[in-house]
Amino acid sequence: MNNLTLLVFLPLVGALLVAATPRGAVAAQRLITHVTMLATMVLGLSVCLAFDGSSALAQHVVERPWFALPNGASSVPIAFKLGLDGISVLMVALTALLGPIVVLSTWGHIHERVKEFMVWLLVMQTGMLGVFLSLDLVLFYVFWEVSLVPLYFILGIWGGDRRLYATIKFFLYTLSGSLVMMIAVIALLYRLGTADIPTLIERVGSLPHGTQLWTFAAFALAFCIKVPVMPFHTWLPDAHTEAPTSGSVILAGVLLKMGTYGLLRFCIQMYPGISLEAAPWMMGLGAVGIVYGAWLASAQNDLKRLVACSSVSHLGYVVLGLFALTQAGLRGSVLQMVNHGISTGLLFLLVGMIYERRHTRALDHYGGIASVMPLYAVFFVVTVLSSVGLPGLNGFVGEYLILLGSFQASPWIAAVSVTGVIFGAVYLLMATRRFLWGPLTHAANKSLTDIGGREIGLMVPLVVLCFWIGFAPNTFLSRADGSIDALVKRIDAARAVRTAALVPATTPLLVQEGEPR
Amino acid sequence: MTPDFLRQLVNETTLFALAPFLVLCAGAMLLLLADIVPGAKGLRAPLFVASIAVASFFEVRLFDHPTLELFSNSFVSSPKTAFWGLLFLSSALIAWCFAQRYYDEEKGFLAEHDVLFLCSTAGMMLMAGAQDLLTFFVGLELLSVPLYTLAGFRRTRNDSVEAGLKYFVLGAFAAAIFLYGAALLYTDTGTISLAEMRAHGAGTPLALLGVALIAGSLFFKVSVFPFHLWVPDVYQGSPTPVTALMATGTKAAGFAFLLNAAFLLPKSAATTVAVIALATMAAGNLGALVQTDLKRMLAYSGIAHAGVLLLAVAGGLAGDPQASGALNAALFYMAAYVFTAGGAFGLVAWLERETDGPVTLESLRGLAARRPAIAAALALFMLSLGGIPATGGFLGKYLVFSVAVRADMIAVAVFGVLMSVVALGYYLRVVVALYMQKPAVEASRASEPHLPATLATGVCAAMVLLLGLAPGWFLARLV
Repeated sequence: MNNLTLLVFLPLVGALLVAATPRGAVAAQRLITHVTMLATMVLGLSVCLAFDGSSALAQHVVERPWFALPNGASSVPIAFKLGLDGISVLMVALTALLGPIVVLSTWGHIHERVKEFMVWLLVMQTGMLGVFLSLDLVLFYVFWEVSLVPLYFILGIWGGDRRLYATIKFFLYTLSGSLVMMIAVIALLYRLGTADIPTLIERVGSLPHGTQLWTFAAFALAFCIKVPVMPFHTWLPDAHTEAPTSGSVILAGVLLKMGTYGLLRFCIQMYPGISLEAAPWMMGLGAVGIVYGAWLASAQNDLKRLVACSSVSHLGYVVLGLFALTQAGLRGSVLQMVNHGISTGLLFLLVGMIYERRHTRALDHYGGIASVMPLYAVFFVVTVLSSVGLPGLNGFVGEYLILLGSFQASPWIAAVSVTGVIFGAVYLLMATRRFLWGPLTHAANKSLTDIGGREIGLMVPLVVLCFWIGFAPNTFLSRADGSIDALVKRIDAARAVRTAALVPATTPLLVQEGEPR
Repeated sequence: MTPDFLRQLVNETTLFALAPFLVLCAGAMLLLLADIVPGAKGLRAPLFVASIAVASFFEVRLFDHPTLELFSNSFVSSPKTAFWGLLFLSSALIAWCFAQRYYDEEKGFLAEHDVLFLCSTAGMMLMAGAQDLLTFFVGLELLSVPLYTLAGFRRTRNDSVEAGLKYFVLGAFAAAIFLYGAALLYTDTGTISLAEMRAHGAGTPLALLGVALIAGSLFFKVSVFPFHLWVPDVYQGSPTPVTALMATGTKAAGFAFLLNAAFLLPKSAATTVAVIALATMAAGNLGALVQTDLKRMLAYSGIAHAGVLLLAVAGGLAGDPQASGALNAALFYMAAYVFTAGGAFGLVAWLERETDGPVTLESLRGLAARRPAIAAALALFMLSLGGIPATGGFLGKYLVFSVAVRADMIAVAVFGVLMSVVALGYYLRVVVALYMQKPAVEASRASEPHLPATLATGVCAAMVLLLGLAPGWFLARLV
């Protein structure tokens, strides 16, 4: 069996095992989930370590025919095709790494219907890995939509008071984007007669400009809702606020990355020409998201909502960097996707830990808790600084590359976005001050216990990564470089074609044989 | 009658092609006999199942057989009609399984109930294979008359009687309109045969009026806007297993003929049909959105699904009928729908028995804790009705919308998928009630084992997943 097939279906097997246990056997359910997630992590990380970053080609490819999809008079072969390339490798590593951490974090807050929770957690892992590894458009689409269902249950069953509202909002929002994307998928399959993603990437350019434009827009809409990019972001704070800690960590850590991954894979890689046309708009949306998200975050009193709004801002950077369409921007964005997964994941974990102790997330119920929870405060401050982008920590590298790349593309938009860095520092540091420092004003906070071994253990790997990426980002970037270089070449080629078309040429630059002059 | 003529009517070919139909008729006769022969009452269930099984056996044999034209091409038997036939048989069997413990006072009349089921299914087969208007009409009546009776089968209940009467009056009216339309078409073209009309063309105003009347009566049968208003009341009032048969089988049979005869409509009607399809989706989905009674919600959802199927008809009209794949898409969609909606209505029937009342969103609350298997199956059916991948409903939806996209109806397709977002709004509310809300009341009746229903639910769930995850076998037979 191929490594990637095993990687994708291992969590599903675990889910079936957990489902087969009797209802009350919580210890066994946790154990099976842990073992499965750890095995998935080991396998996932080893596959990613064995990945050759200098090549732009998909590696570890597995391809099995699945079924033939009728396409008018003919049919399109749909394959179960998985592969790993520079665009997906870091995402797969992040997903695999967060799995066991999330399971460990559930000890503190999932006490009811543990079995179902573990089943959904494992199913979700399969769905997310499938999204990042699929090299067949229909397979991708199936994984993409299927991964909605587990989160729907996780939010709806184990969420907060307004969970039903948030769940349905999240589901319908995302679904409307996905369904419009389905129309684009249908159109691509029909026009190009293949569902193989690498082949599609080569051939999409041959479509008429109008078709390219609307299919690009459909893909972009679906991914922008998922990211979420500014005007489509309203589902996110609700979903995050109502989700249980582990749900938030997965949502922020991986699920939102499915959106940015999609933008990179399907919008930019597939449509470099259209991306160049859309770049100013998308960069603009990114910049607006950065500032608007920061502005929203600075007004929040609910700690979790604050982190959720900061997500909108941070993912604005990723979109900005992607659509700068420069090497620095793309590298920065790919890295920032990982960074955001780590630091926002950590923030949600930290918020969850304090919520488990005090059952409130309102900032004004806290203050001065650094004196009773010193270790907690250390982790919190490191995470906040990583999120703010302090040099030496991961956030700085990503943000710097993104701003550099977008400055090359559009100095004005970059200038607006830089203010987001300042705003980010302002709201995060102010929140930290209100939360951790000052006198202990609430009596209830005096009896808070500091974090224990399990909680430290689950955060340490992530904190180590914060420093590692901060000091030696090349360990990670080098794996993506092959793909990014190839992508930049494609973009440059498209740019050349575009410039040639814009400048009235006296002699045609490219004349195909047999074409009348 | 000369022996030659008889031989033309009854020979190996006609017997072979009509075998499924004949088996159902014979089964119905035997059931009637078994009911009056003393001591044979116990044969009811085996006889019914055997009729369906033998008919299915013959349908499967027709599956791999080339097309056969019978009786001067007034009836045709092809792999496609065999596929439809298998769908009708599945639909009848599923509905029948859930009927086994459904009735109280009417228990003594179960033999008649089963006879009517078989007759109705035989009518569906005639409709799917009909190649002229009169054969179709005979099939339509053979389908409808038993259903009028079945709708009012619980004669001590007002809502059931009301449903029967409503369905009968409106159905009779629609039948009359069909005949009127057929008469007009005959006046103009001088034929009732679809093949000759195809060769001849039906473009004069008189013929178009006839086509419009026929379309109207068919739209009534398959519950398309604006002829859908009877659906919620009739579906809700009828005994639930009968509703299951109506929702899946009747719709399948109606669309089988609609797709056959769609060429009668001029190509320019494609946009109109597409708009009607969208209006049907909107009427069904918006109507379902405010329902709290699951049966009524599923009735409205049935209207919306008819709208999606009509979109395939519109796409087929606009594009090249052969290359559009409209028939294949509709077949697959219907296959998924038969098992999904059949299972969903069936579970409603099952739960109605247990709660002694209508199944509402309130009564479904917390069902996941009480009856995990039923809740899981119902949730699966809801996700499939909503078209979430890994279920048959998704692929059906994909295929139908791809017909529209190939016909360049992008805006229509986008509107259609947004309608299915609305649909998810109410399907998800069912899942929310099942899994995410605490029960308001405890179940009144203890659950009793119900083997036929358990089997049917299992088969439906398995088929929904099979059609979603391993559709290769089915699709290979469609292309």
